[in-house]
Amino acid sequence: MTKHTYAGKAAIVGIGATEFSKSSGRSELQLALEACVAACEDAGIEPSQVNGLSTFTMETNPESEILRGLGIPELTHFSRIHFGGGAPCATVQYAAMAVASGVADYVLCYRAFNERSGRRFGAGVQGRPAGVTAEEAQFSWTSSYGLLTPASWVAMFATRMMYEYGVTSEDFGRVAVADRRHAANNPAAHFYEQPITLEDHQKSRWIVEPLHLLDCCQETDGGQAMLVTTVERARDLKQPAAIVEAAAQGMADDQHMMRSFNRDSIVGLPEMGTCARQIWETSGLAPNDIKTAVLYDHFTPFVLAQLEEFGFCKPGEAKDFIADGAIEMGGRLPVNTHGGQLGEAYLHGMNGVAEGVRQVRGTSVNQVDGAEHVLVTGGTGVPTSALMLGVAR
Amino acid sequence: MDVSEDLLSRARALVGSQGQPLVARHAVGTAAIADWCDAMGDDNPCYTDPEYAAKSVHGGIVAPAATLDIWVRPGLPAQSPSGRRGDDPQSKVIALLEAEGFVGVVAVNSELEIERYLRPGEVLQGVQVLEDVSEEKQTGLGTGHFLTTRTRYSTTDGEHVGDLLFRILKFKPGTGSAPKGEDSDTPKPPPSDPSMRPRPAINRDNQALWDGYRRHELRVPQCRSCKRVFFPSSPRCAECGSFDMGYLVASGKGALYSHVVVNYPQVPGFAYPIPVGLIELEEGPRMVADLVGVTREQLAIGMPLEVEWLDSHPALEPGATDSQGPITLPRFRPATPQRRPETRRAAEVSEGEQLPIWVLPVTPTRITAGALSTRDFQDVHHDRDLAHKKGSADIFFNINTSIGLMERYVTDWLGPEVLVRALRVKLGAPAYPYNPLTFTGSVTSIDTGSGRAVVEVTAKNKLGSHINGTVEVELPR
Repeated sequence: MTKHTYAGKAAIVGIGATEFSKSSGRSELQLALEACVAACEDAGIEPSQVNGLSTFTMETNPESEILRGLGIPELTHFSRIHFGGGAPCATVQYAAMAVASGVADYVLCYRAFNERSGRRFGAGVQGRPAGVTAEEAQFSWTSSYGLLTPASWVAMFATRMMYEYGVTSEDFGRVAVADRRHAANNPAAHFYEQPITLEDHQKSRWIVEPLHLLDCCQETDGGQAMLVTTVERARDLKQPAAIVEAAAQGMADDQHMMRSFNRDSIVGLPEMGTCARQIWETSGLAPNDIKTAVLYDHFTPFVLAQLEEFGFCKPGEAKDFIADGAIEMGGRLPVNTHGGQLGEAYLHGMNGVAEGVRQVRGTSVNQVDGAEHVLVTGGTGVPTSALMLGVAR
Repeated sequence: MDVSEDLLSRARALVGSQGQPLVARHAVGTAAIADWCDAMGDDNPCYTDPEYAAKSVHGGIVAPAATLDIWVRPGLPAQSPSGRRGDDPQSKVIALLEAEGFVGVVAVNSELEIERYLRPGEVLQGVQVLEDVSEEKQTGLGTGHFLTTRTRYSTTDGEHVGDLLFRILKFKPGTGSAPKGEDSDTPKPPPSDPSMRPRPAINRDNQALWDGYRRHELRVPQCRSCKRVFFPSSPRCAECGSFDMGYLVASGKGALYSHVVVNYPQVPGFAYPIPVGLIELEEGPRMVADLVGVTREQLAIGMPLEVEWLDSHPALEPGATDSQGPITLPRFRPATPQRRPETRRAAEVSEGEQLPIWVLPVTPTRITAGALSTRDFQDVHHDRDLAHKKGSADIFFNINTSIGLMERYVTDWLGPEVLVRALRVKLGAPAYPYNPLTFTGSVTSIDTGSGRAVVEVTAKNKLGSHINGTVEVELPR
């Protein structure tokens, strides 16, 4: 058993977001700064006290512009995490490591984009000139054949999952129904007061078979930030701290970005399994201790796979686990109580981290009783990350 | 009496009339049979291997059943205007109809009934009878009349060997269902020219593979030290640590491991919706590629596949071998069903049994070879310029090629000594080059007593159903 030494020493003390929209009407940099300011205000510190930043390699807003905009006199830590949606929990992990080791005092984790009104990930990667980097060469093994979007890559895994485990499109649909049920209760969600039925899911158009439109997350304009500091400093701040009980990154054997098609088996998420092992070992918790989780939901099939990787059920049994509403409010493990990225907004998973904080604080619109420890995960199918947040003692 | 009734009565006066016997210019010959076999890809040794054929149910070489109506054809000279004959009853009715504006023509049905197989050296003759002229009908192509003829084939000694029922539609161009109006709410799909697909990023690590594709070699990375085969490329072998990286030329055979159908977003270079496969090569590695000739309903994990090649992108810079050079992509179709060497017995065949899917690439060469080997010299089957001039998108299969391929499909599956008794097809969408034809079939009836079976066959391409047919056979009991 290996425990991460920084675990339990850092906390998320502030969360801040812009509104989530389809057209923000302002720059991505402004969205980032608004979210960062809101996170500082939530915590009750001045933005100029921040001396660390952590974000995604895909983020277009450089740390220098955040420094200028927030009036930060100096930064002692700035880090970025690669692989798109795999990064959200890792930004918090890097921040926690930085504050726990004394490298920085207050670290902002941020992500902001006009992903709907600007460059849409769902539009695919066409139009990119062919280059020579290893990453571009990797893309080429699918792009010339028409697999240009995350949906198209995930669909390839989903077909195999259906074949090997007998999962059906309706099983995927139950994830969408749960997310939308939760979003219907969340005024910040794009799909506030718009629940769906399994029939709506089944009738929605194909995106990439076997994925329907309602298996896919939204595209969103917006920004989300979290402020991380030490547990000691957290005691003097406005909000109850959400302790970083464990955090992990994971990449696994023969990883090819979101296209690891050459593994012996392609029905699991071994990189998430790597995260799960670290999360359980470091936190000392077990699946039974968890009352609610925020599981990354860019596409529904991988929510099932995550339940299996974290041991909430056995491999191949997630379809049975969710069959009776277990992941909805009132069920054994309500998942994505903010509405997830299908229901609330697609903020590359950062809005999911914020929901984890709200559950720990007891302020979620869909508050789960006894949510003392909340599991949050990053993007699936890619090298990824995960977090265990907990109530301060 | 209005014009159409008058026309019909004049045309119908010819029903029952008989043309002059058309005598073949040459005897059934082994060279012509061999050419037909090559064009159809039919390797049944009963047609070409004297020793095998001698020991077979036929007792010697025979001509394939589908060749019944090719031998009396008048050949290339008859294509010139002066060479046309007009004394058969069908030609007479056609002349009447064309005078009234029914100038369009399309073949609708062809039904060959085989009395017995033909042997090299036999000289055939055919006598055509006009069987029917239909009332004026409204069809999708226009208002028109169906003309049905029956041609009785016999040897010049008078022995009856088979019959052909042939039906054509003579129609007035422009009187069919109006072309579907553009729905302004439906966005136009992007152009599907494959040169508009994203070009691959070719670098030092994957150059050898893309170079191989250009030569239509399916290369997969292989470590020269420990011989491990993997995919995609990497400069170092994770197994033994060697940087000495080579490649293996794969057989091109594999099986479908997983699949998707991409509907959205639609980008230039693809004709949506597109089935894409994850193919497990028989050497082990898996790769993503286009799936050709299969509908979403036919996709099945485990189905055997074989590679074919798409020369997708011309060079952007002369001589370039990187991503600016010419690009070729491997793609996969269902593996061509293997010819069964032993003939199945009637008791081994059951009703409802499905034939394996067969996807046939259609090339100008195949179309031309098919037309010429069935002694059909109509220009629309070999001359693209003239095909364009006559309003056709391209050259297309003549009927005898389609029927010949259908015969091959069924006899390859049942075995070399199955006896074909009838080949009947209803014709639909034309088979143009570069639109693969997908054959499917099933046994619709089997009588184990007589050995008689009926196999239903459909060949489809992206334009629709090319032929719907039945093959009636007699199997050993």
